[in-house]
Amino acid sequence: MTTDPTISLKIRTALAEYLKRDPDRILVTQHLRDDLGLDSMAVIELLYRIEEAFDLQIPDQDLVGLTTVGHVVSYVEKRLGKSAPAAPIKKSGKPLKATKQSKPSKPKSKKKS
Amino acid sequence: MRARVVVTGLGVVSPIGIGISDFWKAALAGQSGITAISSFDPFPMDGYRSKVAGQVRDFAVERFIDSVHGERVDRYAQFGLVAAKEALADSGLQMEKENPHRIGVIVGAGMGGMVMGEREITQLYQQQKPHRVHPNFIPVITLNSASGIIAMAHGAKGPNLTISTACSSSAHALGQALHCIREGRADVVIVVGADASITPLVFAGFCSLRALSSKYNDNPEKASRPFDRLRDGFVMGEGAGALILESAAHAKKRKARVYAEVAGYAATSEAYHMVIPREDGLEVAHTMKLALADAGLTPAQVDYINAHATSTTIGDAVEVKAIRQLFKSRADKIAISATKSLIGHTLGAAGAIGGIASVLALHTGKIHPTANYDDPDPACALAGLSRSAQERRVKVALLNAFGFGSNNAAVVFKQTTT
Repeated sequence: MTTDPTISLKIRTALAEYLKRDPDRILVTQHLRDDLGLDSMAVIELLYRIEEAFDLQIPDQDLVGLTTVGHVVSYVEKRLGKSAPAAPIKKSGKPLKATKQSKPSKPKSKKKS
Repeated sequence: MRARVVVTGLGVVSPIGIGISDFWKAALAGQSGITAISSFDPFPMDGYRSKVAGQVRDFAVERFIDSVHGERVDRYAQFGLVAAKEALADSGLQMEKENPHRIGVIVGAGMGGMVMGEREITQLYQQQKPHRVHPNFIPVITLNSASGIIAMAHGAKGPNLTISTACSSSAHALGQALHCIREGRADVVIVVGADASITPLVFAGFCSLRALSSKYNDNPEKASRPFDRLRDGFVMGEGAGALILESAAHAKKRKARVYAEVAGYAATSEAYHMVIPREDGLEVAHTMKLALADAGLTPAQVDYINAHATSTTIGDAVEVKAIRQLFKSRADKIAISATKSLIGHTLGAAGAIGGIASVLALHTGKIHPTANYDDPDPACALAGLSRSAQERRVKVALLNAFGFGSNNAAVVFKQTTT
C-alpha cells in the first residue's frame, strides 16, 4: 500500500512540531511510544492535532490500533477515503510494514481523576 | 520542641521585574508596574470600566524553563515554575543530595488556569464541538497544576498541596508550610503564590463587582493608591512569588544563607460576607494578634507591616482601624508599606510577593515606598507610611492578607537569631 505523501508529511510534521525535531527524522515505521517516547497523554494530544488538521473525529475504539506513525497515516488515509463511519484500524486493509508489531498498546490510563 | 523554620531562597515574577534583583531595585525606587491593557485580543477594551493592570510584559516561559514542563501548563503555573526555579537556585539547595520525600511544594492560587480555561469555554459555546476541547484542558485548569508541575520539575516528592483562598492564598501557603516543617513532615517546602488572570472574563467579573479602579485609565501609574484619599478600587496584577522554607536545623547543616525566620501564622474567618470585610476591624486585629502569639511575640515588638492594602475604599480603612486597635500608640511607629501600590493586586500571588518584601525588609533594612500615597486619607493615615523608601532596622515583620470568602491570614517573620 502506498501512502499519500501529503497526509504522511502532515502527520510527521505535526509530530515533529510536538517533539521539536526535524520531520525527516520521523519515520512511518516508528512506534509512537517505544521509538518516539510519547506517553498515553501525548498520543491523545497528537491525535487531537490530527483531528483538527484533517477535520476528523477519531472514535475511542479506534485508538487501540494506532501504535505506529504508519498506523496513524494509514488510518487517516482510510478515513479520508470513505465517508462511512470508521472501521477499527485492524480491519483497515493491509497492515503497514511496521518494524515491530510490538505490544498491542493497551491504553491504560495513568491519569488520576 | 517544634522545629524553627527559616527562609533560604527567594524568586519572583512581577510587573516590575522578573527576578529578585530587578524586582527589589524597582520596588525601592517606587517604580509602578501598572500600565494600560491595550486589548483582550480579539476584542477591545471599550466596554470595560477599568482599563489598567499590573501586567508581566514580554514573558516567554521558554526563556526561563528549558523543559517541556513550561509548555504543559497555563500562564500562572509558568510564572510559578520560573519563580520556584529562581528561589531554589538562590537557596543553594541541591536536590540530588536531598531525600526527595522530605521536600514539599505548597502553592497558593486564587484563579488558576484561566487563560486556557476561558479560551476553551468560549470555543465550546461558540462552535458547539465538544470533541474540539483540548485534551489538556482538565489538567491545566485543575487548580493544583502549578504545585504538580513544580514538583515534577524538581523531583520534590514530599507533601504537595494547593491552597485556594482567593487573595490570601499564598499567605496561607506560607503558613501551612510553616506547620508542615514545624511538625516534622518535611525539611523543606517550596512555597509559591501564583496567578495570571488578567483575562477577558475574570477582568470583566472584577469590573462588575465594582472592585477595580476606573478613574485613572488615562494615568495607569496613578491607579493603585492604597491609603490615599483619592483611591477608587484595586488594580489587577499578575505574577508569582516563591520562598524556600526550611527547618533551621536543615539549613544549618548545609550551611545555607538564611534571610529570616518564619515565626508565626494565623488563619481565621470573619464568617461575615463574601466580599466585604467587617467594618469594625476586630477580626483583622484578632488575626494579627494570633499570629504574633504563635510567634511568641507581642505587638510592641513589630517594626514593619506589609499591609494587604488593595486600594479599595473600605478595605484599606478597615486594615488601618485594626492596626490602631491592636498596636495602639505603637501604630505610628511601625513602618508600613503596600506592595500592591507598585504591582497591583496579584491575587493568589499577593501573599508570597508581600512575604518577599517583608523578608527583604528584614534582610536589607530597607522598606519599599507606597506609591501614590499623595494625600493621606484621614481614615487611613499612619505615620509609618511613606511615598519614599525607608531605612530602618527591622527585627519583626508582619504580613497581612485577606481574601474573598471572609478569609484572613497573617504571617510573622523575624530576624534569625542564629
